[in-house]
Amino acid sequence: MVLVMIRTAIIFLALLIIMRLMGKRQIGEMQPFELVITLLIAELVCIPMADSSIPLLYGIISVVTLFVLHETVTLLDLKVKPLKSFISGKPSVVVNKNGIDDYQLKKNNLDVSDLIESLRSAGYFSLDAIDYALYESNGTFSALPKQDYEQTQTSLPLVIVDNGKYDGKNLKITGLGQEFFDEILKKQGVKDVKKVLVLTADGTGKMYLQIKNEKFRTFQAEYPGGKTW
Amino acid sequence: MVKSLTSILVALALLVGAGIFEWFYVTDQFDDFGKEIHSLMIKTENETANGEDARAVQASWEHRKENLHIWIPHNDITRVDDYLSETVRLIAEKNYALALPKLEILSHLCETIPGTYEPGLENIF
Repeated sequence: MVLVMIRTAIIFLALLIIMRLMGKRQIGEMQPFELVITLLIAELVCIPMADSSIPLLYGIISVVTLFVLHETVTLLDLKVKPLKSFISGKPSVVVNKNGIDDYQLKKNNLDVSDLIESLRSAGYFSLDAIDYALYESNGTFSALPKQDYEQTQTSLPLVIVDNGKYDGKNLKITGLGQEFFDEILKKQGVKDVKKVLVLTADGTGKMYLQIKNEKFRTFQAEYPGGKTW
Repeated sequence: MVKSLTSILVALALLVGAGIFEWFYVTDQFDDFGKEIHSLMIKTENETANGEDARAVQASWEHRKENLHIWIPHNDITRVDDYLSETVRLIAEKNYALALPKLEILSHLCETIPGTYEPGLENIF
């Protein structure tokens, strides 16, 4: 018992020193290689810490080796520009003046609902409220809002069509049938729902439509019986 | 930049130094212990070994293993401990026929244990 306590204290001190040497980024937002190192450190030091048949030195050697790798990769990341994008990745602009960039979303294994979720987390509830949005290489989300974006967010928009498929749950919330939105799409010149990247509708009847590989458009629709949400 | 480079070089030097030291130290300890086992084996084959000889080898091992614990997994040390204890008892009772296979195992362990820490492909994968 005392042995494990002493070993834990030694590992704690060694880790504390190494994490302090690795810098502030290791504690907050991490680049992919930093996340890998952090995950490995936790795993590597736990084994010799609890298993007294393994020399404690093995845990310390693993941590110091990871520190050397971290410092080397960080140096390469800072000093060799072509390697930076390889090691840390590049920011991906997923929304631009034309709307959602489907290619960039797919490249990052994301879909429209992930993007809308990130937007909401950033405080923007409508796709129409922003000019640009991007995922940074460390995974954080940044958005550049339109000048008057606060006026555009009067009601919560719901995703009606996501990547060519109707969202049944949101259709139920609107209380409007699929036929109603089929009709709207027809009016917008869309014959097949599969061609729609995203269609959102808010409670005031404002819609955001983007056909795949086309620029987005917004328009106003009338809900039957003055419906709203 | 200078701080990073210095810390990389210092840490690398420590790691390489520890690796080289471990290799020489472990090999050296098991080489010397292997020689002691070998001479005990010859005495056992000639049936001239006695409890004192065996205990002297055991005492030497006890001294070596104190530092070896820092460098190698303790299970390897325990294996040597177990076989050596049996050997000491068998030699003290002059049961040479049973002591010899144990000494053979100890000699084999002295040859193979350092090899398990070599940076070779078979150990890495």
